[in-house]
Amino acid sequence: MTLNPRGWPVILVLEVAVLAALLVMPAGLDHFWVIFVTRVMILALLAISFDLCWGYAGIMSFGQALFFGGAGYAVAVAARDLEITSVFVALPMAVAVGFVLSLFVGWFLLMTRFPPPIIFVALGTLTGSYIGQRLALSWYYLGGQNGIPSIPSLTVGDYPLYEGPEFYYMVLGLLLGIYLLCRWLVRSQFGLVLAGIRQQESRLTFLGYRVQAYKTIMFALAGSIAGLGGGLLAFHDGFIWPNSIGILLSTQAVIFVLFGGIGTLIGAVIGVGAIEYVGFELADRYPQIWPIILGALLLVVVMFRPTGLIGLLVPERERYGRFGKPPKNGEGDRDAA
Amino acid sequence: MPIDAAFDIISFTSFVVLVVLGLGVIASMMGIFNLGHGDFVLLGAYTVFVFDELGLPIWLGMTTAPFAVALVGLVLERTVIRRFYAAPIIAMLGTYAIGIVIRETVRGLIGGLYHAIPEPVPGMIDLGDFSVSKWRLIVILITVLVVLASYLLLKRTTLGLKIRASLENPGLARSAAISTGQIYALTFAFGCGLAGLAGALMVPAFSLSADLGLRFLIQAFLAIMLGGVGTFEGPIGGAALIGATTAAFPWVMNPILADIMVFVLAIVAIRLRPTGLFTKRRL
Repeated sequence: MTLNPRGWPVILVLEVAVLAALLVMPAGLDHFWVIFVTRVMILALLAISFDLCWGYAGIMSFGQALFFGGAGYAVAVAARDLEITSVFVALPMAVAVGFVLSLFVGWFLLMTRFPPPIIFVALGTLTGSYIGQRLALSWYYLGGQNGIPSIPSLTVGDYPLYEGPEFYYMVLGLLLGIYLLCRWLVRSQFGLVLAGIRQQESRLTFLGYRVQAYKTIMFALAGSIAGLGGGLLAFHDGFIWPNSIGILLSTQAVIFVLFGGIGTLIGAVIGVGAIEYVGFELADRYPQIWPIILGALLLVVVMFRPTGLIGLLVPERERYGRFGKPPKNGEGDRDAA
Repeated sequence: MPIDAAFDIISFTSFVVLVVLGLGVIASMMGIFNLGHGDFVLLGAYTVFVFDELGLPIWLGMTTAPFAVALVGLVLERTVIRRFYAAPIIAMLGTYAIGIVIRETVRGLIGGLYHAIPEPVPGMIDLGDFSVSKWRLIVILITVLVVLASYLLLKRTTLGLKIRASLENPGLARSAAISTGQIYALTFAFGCGLAGLAGALMVPAFSLSADLGLRFLIQAFLAIMLGGVGTFEGPIGGAALIGATTAAFPWVMNPILADIMVFVLAIVAIRLRPTGLFTKRRL
C-alpha cells in the first residue's frame, strides 16, 4: 500500500520540506512565480479551512468560499469606502467577518435539536455560497459582475505592502502560524473529541459530549481561517469578484483537499500547490479541458484513493495521528464517519 | 394580470416538479443524493440542442433526450455509482464530480454561450380575454401525466413493488429473488431519464447554457428536503411549493431579493421541520 514500511514520521518530513521550499523559493523565482506561490499559500488557508471541517470535524461544507469571499468583500469595501488598509486592522477584520459568518451558519445548520442529516449541512452550505454569489453578482454596491477592482494595497504604518517578496513572507508567516495552531489543535484533547465524533458520533453523545457544539466551534474556527485567506487574497490581487465567494471556489476547496489528502493538514497544502500548478500549466494550453480533468480527478480520487496523494506516502496509522492506542479497524470506518 | 401570473407560476412550477421527480425517485428509492442531477438535466437540454443543430425536428430531440440520458445514467450506475451504495456521503462527492465532468464537457461543446431553442409548438391559445403559450400548456400537461405515470409505476406495478422492496430491506429483497443490483440500475436510469426529459422540455423556455442545471439543482434539493425524503409525495409537494414561491415572489418584490428569499425561507423551513412538511415518516 504505502511506500514507507519503516515507519518514519513522513508527515513531519513533508512538513519540513514544504516549509523549507517555501522559505527559499523567492530567492530563486522571478516576480511572476513569487506572486503565483503567494496565491497558492492564500488558497492553502481556504484548503486548510475545508480540511478542518470535513477531514477533522466531519462537516461536509460545500460552501467554504462563502466565508473566504465574504471576508474578502468586507475588507474590499472597507478599504474602498473607509480607507482601512492597515494590516493590523484589515486582517483582524477579515478574520472577524469569517468568524461571525461561519458561527452564524454553523449555529444555524449544526445546532439543531436533533443531529442534522449530513445532506442538510451539505445543502445548507452550498445554498449559503450560492446566495453569496447571487448577492455579489447583482448588488451594485458590491460591483456586480465585475466585482470590486483596484482595492488599495495593504499598509504597515505608512509603508504600502505590494505583491512580491514582502507580501510573500507575510503570507508565509501567517500560514505557518495558522498551520501550527491547527496542528496543535487537532492533536489536542479537543482534537481527540473530534476524532471520536468522526468514528462514532452517537457514542460521544452518550458519553455526555455536546457533539454539535464541538462541531460548531470547529466550523467557526475554520470559517475564521477562510476569512483571513479571503482578506489576504482581496489585497494581494487588488480585486475581488463573485467567483471568490461562489460555488466554483467552494468546489475547488473540496478538490484541493480531497486530492492532496483529507484529514492531514499538509495534504491540504500540497493539494493546493499541485492542483494550482498543473491547472496553470494546462489552463494555458487547454482552457476548456482543464475543468473536465478536475472533475474527473475528483471522481477518481473519491472512487479509488479516498486518502488522496498523501495516502500514497503516509501509512494509515500516522495519518490518523496519535492520541493514545491506535484504532484496530481500518480506513473504511474513518472515511465513512 | 392575475391570470397571467397564475399561468406563469404553474408553468414554472411544472419545470421544478419535473426536475425534482427524477431527483426524488433516486433519493427516496435508493438513498443516494445525486448532486449531479442538475447536469443530467443539462444533458437532456443538450440533446435537444444537438438535434436542432443537425436540422432534425425538435420534438424528435425531445423524445430522444430521456432515453439518451437514461442510457448515460445506466452506464454510470454500472461503472461508478454502484460503488457508492455502501457510503452515501462519498456518493454525494462522486455524483458531484460526475456533474462537473458533464457540465464542463457541455460547456466546452457549446462554447460557453447561450443558445436559444425554439418551441416545437409555437403560438398562443386564446382563451377569452387572455392567451397562453401553447408550448407551456403542453409542458404542464406532460408534467401531470409523467407524475401520474411515475406514481402508478412505483405504487401499483410489480416493478414498483420490487423497487420499494429493494429500498426497504435489500437483504430480504435479494433472498426473495429480486436482483437488487438490476433494480438499482433501473431506478437510477429511470431517475436520469426523468432529468433528461425535464431538461429537454425546459430548454425552449430557459435557453441552453452550461449552468442551466446548477440553478435547478439547489432548488430541487431544497424542494426534496422541504417535502421530506423517502416518500413519493413529499418531494413533489416540496417542488410545488418551491416552484410556486420562486415564480410568485418576483411579482411582488425585487427579483433578486425574491430569488434569495426563496432559498432562505426554504432552508429555514427545513431546519424547523427536518423530516419535511408533507411526511409523517422519520428520515
